[in-house]
Parts: sequence; structure tokens; C-alpha cells
Amino acid sequence: MPAVSRSRTRQREATRRQLVEAGLRVVAEHGFAGATTAAIARETGKAHGTVFVHFASRDILVEALVAAIGEAMSQQLARLPAEVCGVAEVLDAHLVALEEHEVLYVRLLREATVLPLSARARVFALQSAVGSRLRQAHARDVAHGVARAMNPVALTNLWIALTNHYLLNRDLFAPGGSVVAQRGAELKAQFLDVLKP
Amino acid sequence: MPHELCRSCGSCGFPMRDPSDFAGGNPDAIYCSTCGDATGQLRPFDEVLQANADYLVGQQGIDPQAARLMAHSLLVAMPAWQSHRPLS
Repeated sequence: MPAVSRSRTRQREATRRQLVEAGLRVVAEHGFAGATTAAIARETGKAHGTVFVHFASRDILVEALVAAIGEAMSQQLARLPAEVCGVAEVLDAHLVALEEHEVLYVRLLREATVLPLSARARVFALQSAVGSRLRQAHARDVAHGVARAMNPVALTNLWIALTNHYLLNRDLFAPGGSVVAQRGAELKAQFLDVLKP
Repeated sequence: MPHELCRSCGSCGFPMRDPSDFAGGNPDAIYCSTCGDATGQLRPFDEVLQANADYLVGQQGIDPQAARLMAHSLLVAMPAWQSHRPLS
């Protein structure tokens, strides 16, 4: 590829990244409903039309924002060492990911039903990835006699339901602060208590 | 502590970490073991769609038809399946 083309490609990718980063800042502040293409363009200082050079529609931009959130959280989970991992370690990794992205993830949970279906699918895919790691770890804990057996779907859904409940009501569980930072240990203890043999 | 970014499947976005996560067990594969075959090639769309739908059902117990719709929306947002995206 000629040098000029490589430079243009790099510039294009850099602008796309700026738009996604700006979009995430706008979502954190105003939610997905407030993340209009005009607001995101203003956040970057670029012309409104620039958004549509990189994203054919607002739905595609929203998909990219949700993908960025999901990718960042997935990376956190993927760092778990599978060989030695018990349920407690998986919960710790998930809580770290949730705390790091709490504001954006809560926006996503609250607004998922009115976002493009792919956004909701991304949330479920992320939850399934957590569930997959939880199952592996739970099987290990059961084999070692430190956890009781449980239906694997129930295992995943109970943890997701517990964390989502606290996240969606973070203003009540941890007013003005991070619910994961303040109540994460409690959530983990509650869940592990359910799994006790 | 330094860490590497874990690669995501080019078809479904699943974060691949262990060799068994990769198509054919090959850590150089660009697709996961669900979306890619033993040689690392992408499986046909319908197979990948059903496998991803089954994964969502198996993990969380959602309705199979709903899982299929969600899996479809997820896949067509990925570069590997752009040609399956409905024209707007």
C-alpha cells in the first residue's frame, strides 16, 4: 500500500477511535438516548458530517459503542487463568470488569430494550461469556467438594440477576458512588453462600 | 502487571484465550471453535447462526427463537458477516 494510502488509513482509524471514545463519554453523561450524532460530533469538535463518514447510521454508531464496552469487559474476563480458577476468582474478575465500566454498563442495562437488537445481543453474549467461565469454575469447585451442584443455567442467571439488581439500583445501594466498589464484596459473599455444600 | 489483549473471534466476538477456544485448537486461528472448523475456515452462516443461538440458550435459558434473532443481529454486525446485513 503506498505511503499516502497508509497514512490516510491510519488517520481514518484514528478519527473513528476518537468518535467512539467521544461517544462513550457522551453516553456516560447523558445515556444512549442523549448520544445523538450531533452531540458526539460536538464532543470531538468535528463537523457533524464526519460521524457519517465513519458510521453509516446512528444505529451502527450505537452498535460500535456497545461493542467497545463489551470488548473491554470481555478482555477482563479473558485474563482469568482457567486451570486454577474457582468460582470466587471468576466473580472477582467479573466485579473488576463491572466496576471499571460501571457507569457505561448501567446505561446499557437500563436502555438495552430500546437500543438496536445487536446491542441487547451483545449484553447477553457478555453474560454468556461470564456464565461459561462460571460453569467451568463451578465444576472445579464441586469436584473439590467446596461447592454444591447446581443447574448451570440457574448458576449463571442467579449471578447475573444479583449483579444487575444492584447495578440498576445503584443510586439506592451506593448513592453517589460505585455500587461495585461499595457492595461488591457483599454480592460475592451472598452468592458463594448459596453455593455452600 | 503487563497483559496481552486477548483476540476476539472475527465472526462472533467471543474472547479467545485457551487453545480449545480457537478453531482447530490453533491459537493463530482468527475464528473461535464454534464459528470455525477444524482447519480454521469459517463455517457456513446458517451453522454459525444456529451454534451461537444454541450457546445463548444453553447459557441463559432464553427462548430459542429469541436467541436466534439476537445471534443474527450480533453476527451481521461483525465484519465477517457484513454481506448478510440487511440493506437499510
